Formats: sequence, structure tokens, C-alpha cells
Amino acid sequence: MGMIHEIDYGTKPSAATKLVTLTIDGQHVSVPEGTSVMRAATEIGTQIPKLCATDMLDSFGSCRLCLVEIEGRAGTPASCTTPVAEGMVVHTQNAKLAKLRRGVMELYISDHPLDCLTCSANGDCELQDMAGAVGLREVRYGYDGSNHLDAAKDVSNPYFQFDPAKCIVCSRCVRACEEVQGTFALTIEGSGFGSKVSPGMSEQFFDSECVSCGACVQACPTATLMEKSVIEMGQPEHSAVTTCAYCGVGCSFKAEMRGEDVVRLVPYKDGKANHGHSCVKGRFAYGYAQHKDRITKPMIRARITDPWTEVSWEEAIAHTAAEFKRIQREHGKDAIGGITSSRCTNEETYLVQKLIRAGFGNNNVDTCARVCHSPTGYGLGKTFGTSAGTQDFDSVDEADVILVIGANPTDGHPVFGSRMKKRLREGAKLIVVDPRRIDLVRTPHVAASHHLALRPGTNVAIVNALAHVIVTEGLANEAFIRERCDWAEYAEWAEFIRKPEHSPEAVAMLTGVPAAEIRGAARLYAAGPNSAIYYGLGVTEHSQGSSTVIAIANLAMATGNIGRRGVGVNPLRGQNNVQGSCDMGSFPHEFPGYRHVSNDAVRAIYERDWGVSLSPEPGLRIPNMLDAAMDGSFRGLYVQGEDIAQSDPDTRHIVGGLTAMECVVVQDLFLNETANYAHVFLPGSSFLEKDGTFTNAERRIQRVRKVMSPKNGYADWEITQMLARAMGMKMDYAHPSEIMDEIARTTPSFAGVSFEKLEHEGSVQWPCNEAAPDGTPIMHIDHFVRGRGRFMIADYVATDEKTGPRFPLLLTTGRILSQYNVGAQTRRTENEKWHPEDVLEIHPHDAETRGIKDGEWVKLASRSGETTLRAKVTDRMALGVVYTTFHHPVTQANVITTDYSDWATNCPEYKVTAVQVSHSNGPTEWQRDYQAHSKTARRIDAVAAE
Amino acid sequence: MSKMEDRLVYMANQIGKAFILRPHQEAVDETATHLKAFWEKRMLTRILAYIDAGGAGLDEIPRQALLKFRENLPK
Amino acid sequence: MRIFVPQDSAALALGADRIAQAIRRDAAARDRDVTLVRNGSRGLFWLEPLVEIETAEGRVGFGPFTPADVPALFGDLTAHPKYLGLVEEIPFLKKQQRLTFARCGLADPLDLDAYRALGGFAGLEKARAMSPAEICAEVKASGLRGRGGAGFPTGIKWETVRTASAEQKYIVCNADEGDSGTFADRLIMEADPFCLVEGMAIAGRAVGATRGYIYTRSEYPYAIRMMSAAIDLAARAGLLEDFRLEVREGAGAYVCGEETALLDSLEGKRGQVRAKPPIPALIGLFSKPTVINNTISLAAVPWILAEGAPAYAAFGMGRSRGTMPVQLAGNIKHGGLFETAFGITLGELIDDIGGGTSSGRPVRAVQAGGPLGAYFAVSQFDTPYDYEAFAAKDGLVGHGGLVVFDDTVDMAQMARFAMEFCAHESCGKCTPCRIGSTRGTETIDKIIAGDAVERNLALVTDLCETLKFGSLCALGGFTPYPVMSAIKNFPEDFRGPAAKLAAE
Repeated sequence: MGMIHEIDYGTKPSAATKLVTLTIDGQHVSVPEGTSVMRAATEIGTQIPKLCATDMLDSFGSCRLCLVEIEGRAGTPASCTTPVAEGMVVHTQNAKLAKLRRGVMELYISDHPLDCLTCSANGDCELQDMAGAVGLREVRYGYDGSNHLDAAKDVSNPYFQFDPAKCIVCSRCVRACEEVQGTFALTIEGSGFGSKVSPGMSEQFFDSECVSCGACVQACPTATLMEKSVIEMGQPEHSAVTTCAYCGVGCSFKAEMRGEDVVRLVPYKDGKANHGHSCVKGRFAYGYAQHKDRITKPMIRARITDPWTEVSWEEAIAHTAAEFKRIQREHGKDAIGGITSSRCTNEETYLVQKLIRAGFGNNNVDTCARVCHSPTGYGLGKTFGTSAGTQDFDSVDEADVILVIGANPTDGHPVFGSRMKKRLREGAKLIVVDPRRIDLVRTPHVAASHHLALRPGTNVAIVNALAHVIVTEGLANEAFIRERCDWAEYAEWAEFIRKPEHSPEAVAMLTGVPAAEIRGAARLYAAGPNSAIYYGLGVTEHSQGSSTVIAIANLAMATGNIGRRGVGVNPLRGQNNVQGSCDMGSFPHEFPGYRHVSNDAVRAIYERDWGVSLSPEPGLRIPNMLDAAMDGSFRGLYVQGEDIAQSDPDTRHIVGGLTAMECVVVQDLFLNETANYAHVFLPGSSFLEKDGTFTNAERRIQRVRKVMSPKNGYADWEITQMLARAMGMKMDYAHPSEIMDEIARTTPSFAGVSFEKLEHEGSVQWPCNEAAPDGTPIMHIDHFVRGRGRFMIADYVATDEKTGPRFPLLLTTGRILSQYNVGAQTRRTENEKWHPEDVLEIHPHDAETRGIKDGEWVKLASRSGETTLRAKVTDRMALGVVYTTFHHPVTQANVITTDYSDWATNCPEYKVTAVQVSHSNGPTEWQRDYQAHSKTARRIDAVAAE
Repeated sequence: MSKMEDRLVYMANQIGKAFILRPHQEAVDETATHLKAFWEKRMLTRILAYIDAGGAGLDEIPRQALLKFRENLPK
Repeated sequence: MRIFVPQDSAALALGADRIAQAIRRDAAARDRDVTLVRNGSRGLFWLEPLVEIETAEGRVGFGPFTPADVPALFGDLTAHPKYLGLVEEIPFLKKQQRLTFARCGLADPLDLDAYRALGGFAGLEKARAMSPAEICAEVKASGLRGRGGAGFPTGIKWETVRTASAEQKYIVCNADEGDSGTFADRLIMEADPFCLVEGMAIAGRAVGATRGYIYTRSEYPYAIRMMSAAIDLAARAGLLEDFRLEVREGAGAYVCGEETALLDSLEGKRGQVRAKPPIPALIGLFSKPTVINNTISLAAVPWILAEGAPAYAAFGMGRSRGTMPVQLAGNIKHGGLFETAFGITLGELIDDIGGGTSSGRPVRAVQAGGPLGAYFAVSQFDTPYDYEAFAAKDGLVGHGGLVVFDDTVDMAQMARFAMEFCAHESCGKCTPCRIGSTRGTETIDKIIAGDAVERNLALVTDLCETLKFGSLCALGGFTPYPVMSAIKNFPEDFRGPAAKLAAE
């Protein structure tokens, strides 16, 4: 196993279809019009020396190493900036060019340290390679001239260092920050010989606008910007392509290794979701996998107040199976269930639901999508016929208008956020619907045309008002509707939406958004011509989550923005494999591929394949399981890679349910908050330690590859398999590929998927079957999956969560760039430096009336509970709305959130909680009690383990 | 009314409200379909028992949907 | 009595305002009816402040004028100590072929009626009666080439922009006159600003551009004021129709005179050279098709349109048609602007027109075409002033500057200065210019110090090759001209004191 080396073509590919034929060093080559001479040369294997050119960036033409001669043209043009022309005759090598290149290289080396042997880039340095390529043998200027060799290093970023002494001022880092990431944190300061790379105005990297995405480090051809891990460990010796285990973008990375140690994760250019870009989490925050907190031995205990006892795998599995069987014997087969993980692989998720349906004999399986995108599944399933986003990420490149609702891509889905910003810089128009002034509203060279800063909980009213304008102003695409949708349903919906109570003027008071803004946004969206909707949890996590998804689908259908590139309805999925976990049948009412358990034909497929009879009735959802536990009819739970005690709302209710159970089994990397209430702990494995697949938000199935052996001894699928066997099931997969074969065999939309195919294609977007052997980047092209698109009336119903004298403010929750979900991973990395605690964002006026100053401790209280955290006074909040994140268990933001949920799916209403904010004297009683219990519950009885 | 019954009534009413703009019979049918598709057996059993005990607080649409449903509740 | 006192910045620097004040005061005291006209400069700078009085025979001049010379103006004019006779007959002016600069100094630069009376707007009116294609063809036929230095045919550039399709196109005037010893742009902007406005309006009509920018230096405050006022007056008078014109100030970077760096600067970015292609004619200001021309190219256009292409093309030699405003500066007796048809020799310009050095010592070197132009030796004074003839001697016409040095000049220091200038003005984008200019300065220092002179001269020669063929723009690309011409034409100056001592 060696290193994967990607070819750098120097410049980006041309999208043109017309071919141009030219001659390079006597060889004929045909390339698309607009291709650079450099790229054309690389395509036929001719390497023209280069330093400032790289195919991730626009050509720049500054290093002057790639000069060539073109017959009939004066001078020596740079091959990176010169496009090919028909009949062009190019010479890339001759005595004159060799002398010129050597002359340039001689200048470079006259201001560069001569420490190649001890340099961290030794063996992976383009400057070194080019000095060799041009045959530099001597630097006649000597080394005593002006230079930058004493420039001080900047080690402020926890993951990489900046050593300006080694900088060749190629601007690749600056350009990457601008073109790829879109942050514009870096610049070239000064001019001439004094030109130097500078974060912001001569700031340290950590103090600058830098978001630590790593694009600059990736772009740097020398050791100037270098991962600290490489400086410590040396250059990697082999690599494998795998998929990031953070958000739903699903970035491809090369895991670059020394033996079983990760040297670094490098974004993979051929990754179809990220095209070589990354964010601070995926690129750098993988250290949790080796963190000292990681538990590697199974543990059991009789009571949750007991210390843990380490046991063998055999004992842990046998104990678990015995307990589950006992509970089923005593309380019926429906008294146990399980939760699949949206962070585990498709194969692992599939196996857990199979264990529950076939082994436990019930459908009590659910997943964390319950608390995030279950309304997406419901809403898009009902209207379009499939429970997933309609587009691939690349589609955004063709969008003219982008409508972002309740999503914060630059924090939550940063790599796609950068992609979106790039398109916006190219001129696409932006509409943001969000109570907060998220970064996208105004960021370098991007400004939203409309920001509808609505009051939390009024999504349906706003989306319906947009539709009202479209219908009443004659902006609907009737041709599309007649051809693709059910006209009678449309007519009925249009009659509903035309009503004056849906007009922008009527909802302005309710939503807090001026009518003119709503009208402007509606007209812009309708004008397109390509308008795309991207939405997130700000849409789904409401009592009307499903209704909003339906209203959004109506909007897209009414304007004909479905079924081609540049348009669509796109949920930005939260976790790496939340799409996959839903696809794999993690919901209590459906089998893999979103087929209801009551469907006899579908059940027959599984009954035949699994050799058992299956229940035709839906099982319990997570909140229902906890209700049933409190009620005594549900007593055992198998939780794989999910921390409901921190992530789910109304923590007191969750804890109450967990405490009521007799056997809670937690399978995780760490003793998470749920494990505080567990009786069995099965140590899990990280994404670096197993084979499998993840499916991202664009339905793209990508490989996860094992680069090290599991620290805990087994991959998660093996643990589930052991448990299944102990429960009496016959299960003997030798490799996850066999599980995927079973999925393909039993699920029509996955029929064409196999590890072999993924090996060959890199990735594939479902549906992938006989009808779509190469997968489906864009859905609903000629017809909707359900046949005709279905307009559904979604009326605004106010949430029952209301502000009043006791709780006058509305709390909404979200996430931040550096942290991920409950923080179990990111809190165990240096990312903690960016966001060491959850803070409460509050509008200056709301702070002022409460006498609260920036940075002070405040008590945040709702009818569910109260907690203490620090205030951050900021006008990005709307008046009357406060905001926090839920990354830290110390804060426990979910103590505050309520048990209200979406009417159709029980997705919790995280985004609207009536609260009060006041001065605080310290942690609340709940926080103190909880910390005390955590401490007790995490004790491990070391002696017993011997 | 126990906490569990409280929750079930709340949830059933919420579903009923989502269809409130439909003609009455259609709203009842849609609510019944939804309950059949997503509610687990013990939840249904429990709320039906609650209806038999008076069913206070349960709106008309979900009440009728549940009663309609009882006829073909699997054993 | 009509008295003219220039308000050109050269005249102002020499006290023209105080003179004007003194004239007013004196006239009032004497109860004389004096009309004071603040005209532009004629460009005869060694005579500034050049005061003129209208007489029956024509305008007579007095200069260089001081306030002390005021009272004598009210006596016998011919007896005035600064009396120069008829201005038109001053040989320096009389020998010129003023087409572009014909109106300079004649009237108040902001007097629209005077401008019109002197033939202004005839070109624009003609252009309005022509199709855009016809205008481009006319300019092409005139043989007008870029007066900024590159000498690219203006008509071809316009035609490219005209045929490009875009919803917005721009005309950009490069008035970032940074070459040492040049002042033609400033003179036209201060003495005849409507001429530039008219030229740009014609360009706008020729290519279908509705917006124009004049990018000039913050060091030209009077020019900026004059141009802005002229634009305002012309627009108010409805002469520009839908063409909108604005003046933008640079921040003093020499490289912003390079057209693509200028465009970046105009867009509000750091002024850094763009790689070409794409050419600005297709992807220019804000990525739209853009005519970017030197001030003098644009100012030449009204005459060409008014008098016809053949009339303009009748001047000049070879492929250099029309006239060039040669700017005589440095150590020269008669410093000023001399507009002449191409073809006059360098020697005539320096000796006959310029009158030799002002120090009175023999001329030793002339730097033609700005700080990046070649140093000519006296032995090359037979070179005709012509793009191709200069190029054949590794020289540049450039923006028309000629800077004269007498025999006390140390050419090694001048070569060093060229490298230092490049280092100082380098934007830092391309490697040869960014590092090479500094290494060049250091290496010439070694030569001056007598350190391994031959080896270092060879190294400088190699470096100049790298700069010439490797640089991204003309800053690095032309720096070798002064350096190598100094080394080639004045080899005796490249022997450091140590070497000289050793040789003795």
C-alpha cells in the first residue's frame, strides 16, 4: 500500500465541449477550448515546471517558471495563463527556456533557507522538486543579500504553523482562502521584495478571520504552511481514501498514515462532494479517535449508581443478551428496542435495525434523524415521493437564486457553504430566511438581497406568504404544473394560498418581516430562472416542521424549480450518515428504502431473506420509548453511537425514561451522557477503524476505509453481529461488503450498489439500479418519483410554546463551525480553543433592559428547566430572540428545550422555547446535581477488572 | 389522566389540527391513516381506553379517527 | 487690456497666483481696465510663469515673470525686461506641429465657449454623425498608436471592444503619468481638459461604452480639479449625452500605470498586474470589455475626427504616424513640451530645440521613455524619433519623455537606480521583478565596489534576460533597458574604485 498521488494539472478543467488540437513538443493533443497550454501538456504527460499554478485555483501567472515558446508569438508566455488555440505549436523545453527557468529558480533560492534535510516538507516540497527539475546548480547571488530568513514563525493555530521564512510568495494560500474557502482572511501585505503573506492586518492566524479550513495549508507548495502533525511525525508513507465522519456534506479525505498512525487527513480532489476542500473539523479534528477518554474494554454494572466493572467481550455480550431475553420474557417482546447511529456506517445501521426487527421481533427502532430531519422524510415523501434532497451539490453552480431557510451553511456545512459563497460571488442572488443574521447575510463579496428575519415558529406563515405572492401576481409556472403535477390539487391549493390571510401584509405583524421584503423575495425566487432552496434544522425542528417542508415543496413545484440542475429542494443533513441511517430502515414504521412495515410484499422480501416472520405494525419512536419506559412497558434499550441524554430535548424527561429502564446498553467511543444511565457499555470503533459506507446529504454513497485496527478490538458491525448471535440469530458476515450486497438484494433503490462498484466509480448517488446504473445526481427529472407532484395544503398553526410575562424571550438553538453536535468528538480536540463553552447570544436591547453585560454569567430558564451560561451581546440577534449552541454537557441547553414536537414526526421543537434570562450566581441546582451524578456514574472499578 | 395519556392526547390533537382545513370526513380519514402508519399498538390501545373513560380534552377529529380505527385494530 | 497668467501647476509652483494678485492690485491702483485670463500653460516651462498680453499684432509674452515685473507691464511693453515678443514666434513653439496640444495655453481651460470657438467639439459632432464602425475605421486609418509607451494601434483596440458583446463597456483613461520627466497628461488635463473629455466621449460612441473613468495620480491635484470641473461643465451643457465620466485618484504606485494593475486599482483592489490573456478589451474593468488608452491617445482623437484620418497620417514616418508630445526634462536649457511629427532626430530635439544642458556642460546621456527607458549616448543622436528606430537601438519612445544628463553623471549609479526603482515600485506578484530587482541592486553595488566585476556583470546580464523575458509586466520587463544600455553605452563607468585603483 503506497501513497495516493493525485495529478496536479496546474489549471482547472474547461467546461467547453468544442475540442481544439495543438502540438506540444511535437505531440498532437486535443483538449476542450479554454484549456490552458499547461493543462493540455499535463494531459499528455508533459510536465511544465510550475509553482504558483495548481488546479484547485484560477491561474495566476506569477512564478514565471512555466514559460513556453509558441511559434508565431512574441516572447515567452506563461503556459498557465495562455489558453490553447487551434493549430498552436508549443515548445516547452529548449535552451532559452531552460536558462530562463534556472534564472527564476536561482532568484527563489537566493531567499530561501537551505535546510532541506531537516525541513518538514522534505520529500513533499514543490520548490525542491522544481529546483531539481530546472537543474539549478548554483546561486550566484550568494546568500548574504536581503532576505526573509529571520521572519518569525506563527504557531498560534493549534493545527498548523506558518513559517514565513520558507514562503515563496506564490499567493496560493491567499487565493485558496479567497477562491476555495471564500473567507478572505489572508492577504499579501507590502509590495515588491517586502511582499509577505499576512492573516488580516498583520495578525496571528488564530486571531484573524481564519476559519482554519486548511485550504491554505493544502495549497502551500513548501513547508511555509505545514500541519503540526507532519512536523512532529514526519512525512506519511501510505494513504487511503475515506469519508469524513462529521457533517452531512461527506467530504472525501486521504488518510495519510505512518503505520497505524494518522499523520494527517488531506481533502481528496476527486471527492465528488468536496472537490478537494475541507473544514476545520474534517481536516484537523480527528484526534478524538486516539483520545485518552476513549473506552476500549466492555463494562457492565447492576445499577447506574454502581461503578463500572470491566469484563470480557464474551461476558458483556452474554450478559446483554440474557438481560434482553429476560425482559422480553417478563414484559413481552415489545419491551425492548434500539437506536441506530447516524455516525455509523450504512452497513452497521442496517444491521442494528435487522437485529431489532428480526432478533427482538418488533419494530422499536429509531434514530437521531427523529430529532433532525424526520419532517424532511415525511414532507418530501408525501409531495415528491422520496425522502431526500433532489440535487447533487454541484447543482448549486447553476443556481441563479439561492433561498436559504433555517440553515447556516458556513457553520453547519462549511464545505458546501464555501461552494455556495463561490456561486454567490459569481453573481447568484441570495435570500436568507433566518431569525439570526447568519454569516451568509453579509460576508466578503456576498450580500443577501433579502434577509427575512422572521420570528421563530412562523416558518409556514412566511413560506405561504411567498407562495401567495407568486400565485396572486401570476408568477406561477403553469406549464410545469400542468405537465408535472396534479392540476386539480394545485387549483385547490392555489385557492387556499390566495386567501388574503396569507398575504405578506397580513403576516407581517405575526412574522416580524416587512411585507415589502417578503414580496421582493418572492418575486426574486420566482424570477430565477434557476432557483434553488437549501434548508436545515431551522425548518424541521418545529411543531410545524413537516408542514414547512410541504410548504417549501409547494413553492418549488409552483415555480417549476424541480427536476433540473440549478434548482431543487435540498435539506442540508446534519450528520455524516443521517441520510444513510434513514435510508437503511432506522425508522420504526419503515424498512430500508422507505417502505412501510405494513406492506406485505416488502415484508415478504425480508422474511424470505432473513428467515423469520416480521411485525407489520410500526414500533415506538424515541420519545414514545421514553414515555413507555416511564409508564413501565419499555425496559431495555440498545443505543449505538447516539447520546440522547445530551442531544434530545427536555433532558429531565429523557433522564427520567432512561432511569426507569432495566437494561440500557450504550455502544460508543466514550462514556457519553447517556452512558451515565447505562448498565452495559460496549466500546465502539471510530471511522478510521472500519470498512463501510456513508451516504451524504446529496444521496451519495461513499466508502469508509479502515486504516487502523479497532482500539476496542471490533468494528461496530461486528459487535452488533455478536449481540445478534447471542440473541439467537444466525448472522455471519465476514465483511461489510456482504451486508451491502444484502441491502442491494432487498432494496430496489440500492440494487446497483456494491463495494466493487464504489471501488470503481468512487461514489454513487441512489437510486442506483437497472433504471439508473450510474446513480441519480438529480431527481424527479421527467416525472416525480411518486408520479405527479402533489400540492398539499399546509396551514400555519401557531406553536403552543408561547412567550408570556414569565418567559418573554424566544430561545432558538444551533451550531457553530468548530464544534459538532454534542461535541463528543470536537470537544476532545484542539477545536475546543475556538469555542470552549456554549454562550447565549442576546440582542443589546434585551441585554440592556436586564442589566446584562457582554461576558457575564446569566441564568436561562424555561418551563422545562434552567441552566447557566455566559452572555454574548450581539445585534446579529433579532430583538426578543436569544440563541445558544448545545455542544457542551456542562451547559445542557436541552434542559431548557421542551417536549413539544412536530405533529407528524415528533421531531422536537428545538428552535422555539419561551425563556427568561437573568443574572446568575452560579450553576443551577440541576447542573450541580447532574455533575454530581455524572461523576458517580463514570467511576470504573479498576480492581474488579484485574 | 397520566402523563402518558396527556402526551398522547396532545399528539393526537396536533395531528388533527394539521388536517383541520380539509372537509370533515377527509380530515378524519387522513388523521386515521396517519395514526395507523405511525403509532405503535400500545399507544393506540392506551388512548382508546382513555376515550372509553370519557376522553376529556381530545378533539373531535382525532376522536372520530381513533374510533374508526378501533374497528380494524389488529389484535 | 487682456492679460493672461497661467494657472498650470508649473506656473503656480513658480508663483503665478502672486503675479495675478499683483497685476490686479496694480491695475486697480492705476485705475486701468484689465481683464485677467487664467489660461493654461503653453508648455514652455523654462519661461514660466509666462505672462501674455493681447495686442493688435497678437499675443506678446513676458517670462519668466516675477511680481516685481508687474509695474513695467503698464509701460512700454517692448521695453519690458522680460519681453519675449510674439509668443507664436518663440522658436520652441513655432517649430512645433501642435495638433493635440494646439489649444493649450490659449484660453481659460474651463471656458466652454472659448473651447468651442477654438474648434472644440468639432470631432465629437462629426463622430455623432458616423456609425461606431466608421469611427473605429477612421482612428485605425489615422495610424494613431498608444501614446503610453506600448504603441499598440488604438483603432484596432477600439474595434475589439466594439465587436465584443456585453451589457456594459467602459472607457478608461490612463492618466497615471508616473514616468520621470513627463508631464504631457498633466498639461492636457490642466490646459485643455475638454479635449480629453471630447476624446473619451468619441471613444464611448465608437465602442458602445456609456461609462468612463480617468485614473490619475493624487500628485496632480490641479489636474484632478480641472478635469472634474470640465466633466461637470460638459455634462451640464448636455454635451456628453448618456456618457458618464468620473475622475479617480490613484495612491502613488508606479505599477498602477500598467493597464491591468490600473484596472485592479480602479476596482478597489490592490493594484497588481493581471496576466494576459484575457486582454482588457474583452475582459477589463469589472470583467467587462474596456478601452484603456493613454491620455494623449484619447486627446489626439478629436483632431483626427475633426480633420480626418489622412490629415493626421500625413505627419510622421514609417509606422509612426502623427505627432508625439516630446517632453524635454532633466538637465536641459529649454525644458517643456514639444509636439512634433515623428521623424525628428534625437540630436535635434536635445541640442537644437532643448538648447543643450542647463548646466552648460556637455550632454553625456539621454534617458528616453521614462525611468525604464534606455540611456542614449551622444553618439546615437542621429536616431530618428520613431517607435521602430528606437526599438532597433534597444530603446523606447515610451510616453515621450527625454531626460538629459551632463558629463558629471555616473552611469553605474544610474543603472543601480533603475534596479532600485524597479525594486521600489514592484508590486511583488512575479518572481523576476519581486526578487530580481533587489538582487540586481545588490549585484550592481558589488560591481560599483569593484567586487568580481566581470563575473557580476555577467550575472547582471543574465538577470536582465530573466527580467526581460520572465517578468509579468513591463515594469520588470523594461528595467533591463536602462541597465543594459548603461552597461553597453557607458562601459567605462562600471569599474569600481577598487578596480580602478588596481588598474592604475
